[in-house]
Amino acid sequence: MVLMVKDPLWLFAYWEVRPETERSVRSQLLPSEIPDLRSVLRVYDVTDVEFPTEPAHRSFDIPLSGLATSWYIETNAPNRSFIVEIGLLTASGRFFMLARSNRVTTPRAGPSEIIDEAWATTDELFWKLIGSSALLGGSSPMVWAQMLSRNAVLGSWSSGALTQTARPAIVRGFWCRVNADVIIYGATDPKARVRIQGQPVAVRKDGTFSLRVTLPEGTQTMTIEATSSDGRQTQSMTPIVSLTAAGSLGAEPGIHPPPAARPSIRRRP
Amino acid sequence: MSGPQGTLCLILHTHLPFVHHPEHPDFLEERWLFEAITETYLPLLARFTRLCDDQVPFRITMTFTPTLLAMLADDLLKVRYRRHLERLIELTEKEIHRTRWLPPFHRLALFYHHRLTMARRQYLEVYRGDLIQPFRQLSERGVIEPLASCATHGYLPLMETHRPAVRAQIGVGVQAFERAFGRRPVGFWLPECGYHPGHDEELKAVGIRYMLLDAHGVLFGSPRPKYGVYAPVFCPSGVAAFGRDLESSKSVWSAEEGYPGDADYREFYRDIGYDLEYDYIRPYLNGDGTRLNTGIKYYRITGKTAEKQPYDPDRALERAAQHAGNFMFNRERQIEHLRSIMDRPPVIISPYDAELFGHWWFEGPDWLELLIRKTHFDQKVFALATPTEYLERFPMNQMLQPSLSSWGYGGYNDVWLNGANDWCYRHLHTMAERMTRAANEHPEPDALRARVLNQMAREVLLAQSSDWAFILKTQTHAAYAYQRLHDHLARFDALADTLRQPQIDEAWLSTVEQKDSLFPFLDYRVYATAGRG
Repeated sequence: MVLMVKDPLWLFAYWEVRPETERSVRSQLLPSEIPDLRSVLRVYDVTDVEFPTEPAHRSFDIPLSGLATSWYIETNAPNRSFIVEIGLLTASGRFFMLARSNRVTTPRAGPSEIIDEAWATTDELFWKLIGSSALLGGSSPMVWAQMLSRNAVLGSWSSGALTQTARPAIVRGFWCRVNADVIIYGATDPKARVRIQGQPVAVRKDGTFSLRVTLPEGTQTMTIEATSSDGRQTQSMTPIVSLTAAGSLGAEPGIHPPPAARPSIRRRP
Repeated sequence: MSGPQGTLCLILHTHLPFVHHPEHPDFLEERWLFEAITETYLPLLARFTRLCDDQVPFRITMTFTPTLLAMLADDLLKVRYRRHLERLIELTEKEIHRTRWLPPFHRLALFYHHRLTMARRQYLEVYRGDLIQPFRQLSERGVIEPLASCATHGYLPLMETHRPAVRAQIGVGVQAFERAFGRRPVGFWLPECGYHPGHDEELKAVGIRYMLLDAHGVLFGSPRPKYGVYAPVFCPSGVAAFGRDLESSKSVWSAEEGYPGDADYREFYRDIGYDLEYDYIRPYLNGDGTRLNTGIKYYRITGKTAEKQPYDPDRALERAAQHAGNFMFNRERQIEHLRSIMDRPPVIISPYDAELFGHWWFEGPDWLELLIRKTHFDQKVFALATPTEYLERFPMNQMLQPSLSSWGYGGYNDVWLNGANDWCYRHLHTMAERMTRAANEHPEPDALRARVLNQMAREVLLAQSSDWAFILKTQTHAAYAYQRLHDHLARFDALADTLRQPQIDEAWLSTVEQKDSLFPFLDYRVYATAGRG
């Protein structure tokens, strides 16, 4: 099983399961489990984790249609690492792995939140430098920068928090898109360390912290964990947020930006 | 303030896939090379030479992919190019006669006849059929900085699952470069600017000092780049990365807002191969008689109308001069602005496909020559330089990890991985893994088996050309791309099979070697992993 990156939000996997592997897995099943057996892809977020020795941050399953030998996987998660397994899932939730993929890391979809002190830059300066390129639009991922700088969403950057950016969606003619972001904010001891979904979040001098994340459709659990500076005490809290849309806006994968301004002209017509 | 306030690096990326069909007398896709020679490579050479003769100092950075170098050096293709040119000249002679009562077209027929006979003179008498030599001389004079690139323009981010495949694309690419230019490469052009974190280590291992990325490869790098794309950065391996400037790119690339779409420029899509009576043009079409572009085009873009006006070369040249002035003016303002917010002189990286100049944008080579002249004589804000020169002046740069990126549509791997072409990767990956296994299993083969193994490596490399996945995506010449993938996979299978036989059919091996005849120096051990440190 091979896993590849398509872009910051999508992966592609292809696989081939040897008949003898499948036979030996099926021999472990109870007869009652066979009728409701489903093939699934189990997608693990393994960012900074030695999987499978250490547990994944989260996982989700994609039910497969019978003869599929490849699949596009929407993770909606830039700058995260993934491993995918194909396997058989019983009605009672037992999972039998048939094959495991290599590990891949999706690229960032926006500038890094990390700043090197020796090469420190301010948000204002960074946007000035990006500005001229960002206002061009076109096919490049810089389109989003245009949206961000125009809306002056600079506040969320200066917090130093992890930020998921709105995805570009420029469509000719009339268009409408809706995305939802949630802002998680709070305060703790200024010396404490805070992690949201396992990712460290900067705590300001006054002890406040905030994080803005894009909310995919469905129900999400967000674990917020604060650890005291000596590492002895930990408090955690897990809000559950769910997004369901009524109405008939196109789903994310159906909307495409306009044709490239770039290089498509190379090869002969 | 003394001295220029910034640097402009013009980069021309020259690439064509290896198309070589000795088994057919006449092959449509071989015209890609012939058109590029007549419309791009010869005009660029003529202009660079003229600039040198006029003692106009300039620096330009150019990639020559190993597949293109192999075709330029191929004897069969040289003969065929000459035949192609003779036939076009014959067609322009007929055109001079046909248009004698149509003054604007008669003038153009004479114009093309003159251009093509000059091209023949330049190709045969000045360069004696060898186009690598003049580029090499320009490189030795320090005018051109040549860049190495992957062996067959393989798209590296999608090869990452098998690192020896990445290593072989880079290693064979560097060997081909050394043979053509007689020196070690300093810079490397990643095909399609496709970068995957870690591939800089493979470049480092073969002595490369810098590579070129698309803007977001640097901008989304971590930590955040202090100077954006206007200064190089160092990868953890120590290889420098320069990011593409989108503002200067767009004014040339964009078909709508860019210069090439101007009404006075030549219209690419009106060609006498389609416009004239079939029986008249038939002798100049290919074997199967399908209409095609001859390169003889009589109209200007005019506007968004089907009523095209005749082309006027003088007016187009005027326009190219204006556009060169406009580009220079915009760079001056851009560099002054950047200089005001940066504490060091900025570098602007402007890469283009070379075939854009002359083939697609007919006036492109004129524009480029005029830009170079104006930059030297008419302003003092910026200077032309190569990335190497910039690195020598500013050896201290920020260290960061660039982001996975490409200059393809969407900015990542989408163009080469989508519903139209995703099926090819399971074959390409398996093929490369089998190649590594074969290389490990045969460290010391006999002479004949070594030939088989080398040919297997050629088939792997040829199948990996990013062109096939690209063509399948754009659906132009898709049947040809499919055929090529199929042929290389099938030949590889047959060769691998031969390796296990006690007797090897040498005659058959020779025919395969003649078809896929590039990289005579290739050593399949570049795929081996056994015995690596």
